[in-house]
Amino acid sequence: MEKFKILPHIADLRIKSWGKDQKELFLNSLLGMSLVLKPNILKIKPQKEIKKKIDIFSPDSTALLIDFLSEVLAQNQIEKVVFYKAKFSKLTDKGLEGEISGIKVDSFDEDIKAVTYYKAEIKKNHLLTIVTTYDI
Amino acid sequence: MTSKNDLKKIKENIYEIPKSFRLDMKVPARIFISEKLLEETFRDRSLWQLINVATLPGIIKYALAMPDIHEGYGFPIGGVAAVDFREGVISPGGIGYDINCGVRLLASTFSAKEVEEKIKDLTFAICNTVPSGLGRGGKLRITGKEFDDLLKEGAEFLVKRDYGQKEDLLFCESQGKLDVADPSLVSNQAKKRGNDQVGTIGSGNHFIEFQKIEKIFDKDAAQVFGLFENQFVILIHTGSRGLGHQIATDYIRIMIRVMPNYNINLPDRELTCVPFQSQEGQDYFQAMSAGANFAWANRQMITHLIRQAYQQILGSDNFLKVVYDVAHNIAKIEEYNGKKVLVHRKGATRAFGPGRSELPFAYQKTGQPVFIPGSMGTASYVLRGTAESAEISFSSTCHGAGRRMSRHQAKRTWRGETLKQEMEKQKMTVCVGSMAGLAEEAPGAYKDIDEIVKIVDEVGIAKKVARLVPLGVIKG
Repeated sequence: MEKFKILPHIADLRIKSWGKDQKELFLNSLLGMSLVLKPNILKIKPQKEIKKKIDIFSPDSTALLIDFLSEVLAQNQIEKVVFYKAKFSKLTDKGLEGEISGIKVDSFDEDIKAVTYYKAEIKKNHLLTIVTTYDI
Repeated sequence: MTSKNDLKKIKENIYEIPKSFRLDMKVPARIFISEKLLEETFRDRSLWQLINVATLPGIIKYALAMPDIHEGYGFPIGGVAAVDFREGVISPGGIGYDINCGVRLLASTFSAKEVEEKIKDLTFAICNTVPSGLGRGGKLRITGKEFDDLLKEGAEFLVKRDYGQKEDLLFCESQGKLDVADPSLVSNQAKKRGNDQVGTIGSGNHFIEFQKIEKIFDKDAAQVFGLFENQFVILIHTGSRGLGHQIATDYIRIMIRVMPNYNINLPDRELTCVPFQSQEGQDYFQAMSAGANFAWANRQMITHLIRQAYQQILGSDNFLKVVYDVAHNIAKIEEYNGKKVLVHRKGATRAFGPGRSELPFAYQKTGQPVFIPGSMGTASYVLRGTAESAEISFSSTCHGAGRRMSRHQAKRTWRGETLKQEMEKQKMTVCVGSMAGLAEEAPGAYKDIDEIVKIVDEVGIAKKVARLVPLGVIKG
């Protein structure tokens, strides 16, 4: 199953991601964003993996996903790390707790300013899907 | 979606979608655009976004779009909306994630010919001194109370520490500082994103560009601005970096949660807003102001670093003067016909005409300078604000050429290496961090700047003073 795909946008970046359930959708969306920031992140053999706790509450599941990606993006920029993995100890429609992990980097390949709510909506057919738009 | 049939031509270069087009519109939507560029506006959702802007509570007169209109978040890029100061809302989407992204023009005393031999050295000296690109921090790292002082004082923080002159502040919109800024309303995350980014350009369409004044249209205004034909000048385009992005992210998130408390219902989450006079509205405005101050400090620091390199290469007696510094992503409290309003400018530039007391004394008779950079490698313009713009557009004009092609398509159409070679064949020195980034910024990915400025001039929201052509460019 395809995890995510980059779609065209006039000025910025759109990524469509899929998941069989909420957890998989969140993880694939995170992976999509991470591979834009550093396309070779999965090929880097880190000496040390950096971990950070995460705890978010949002009004609905779509906002939760956007807020999750925003939080990871902020941590990426502050720590100069690409956090591309996550483990959730709690994941509901409106909240999550868990841990993100990633690798320290010297620079990013793309400058993502923000994850936007623009036309973001988790949809369900056979799979859950969402298209997230990033301001770059 | 919209089509040409939905637009009514008001006069040459002015089209309108009437309020009756959609039930929730409170005012008409007005676009300054030529017949030639009109078709391009239907390729994306920008007009639909403009119609959404027309639904904002407290919006006055029109939802406006400048000729460089293209799709954004909430507001289209090139969008302007003035709301009633008491009853209207504030919307972070009407400012943008890059708070106070803006442009500063520096003028030398040299002609381009006199510095021709030194352009390459100057380009690479500045390229090495001013970090551009992704995740690269600046030389100055400020934390704690000092960082809060910078957020409060803006460009003045740096001038007080000898990173510039007092005169630099006079020739800066709002003197490089919004007094209402409150650093305590900026999150720690935003501060952490910003504290090593003072004096950095960033990437994307941000740049430092060396230019020559190719043609003067208005000799009197040019003289007042300190510009002459063939003059060597430098244009800086950057904003509030990660700090501003995080402030916008934080407050959009807050407003999405509290907006229902104010019985506000909008067609687009990114248009989220609260009453300007509410606690959240005032908190955002004060945090936005802190972000704006950071951006002015950023451009001040870059000015200092450019001056250092310039004096090193061209001699210590020589100086670069700030012509002016304009913001193009900001909300400002202004007065029109005796009425206080909050003007949102999202990818749009203030263009105050003659007689405005906010302008430095030297510019009171001409109106303020306006800078409209073209896409990389193409012309840029200096214009002056007009008295008419107050009535036509709440003293607003456009901010650039406006994208007409996606970054993805641009990378598929052009190769960065080829573009660099073509620019170098035209005797431009190019220092760029990313070839893919260069391809994204290809001139063909943007609208025709000459056509954009022609519209602005003909509508009367700003008047041409000078046309500039590039000699060298530094990009992330």
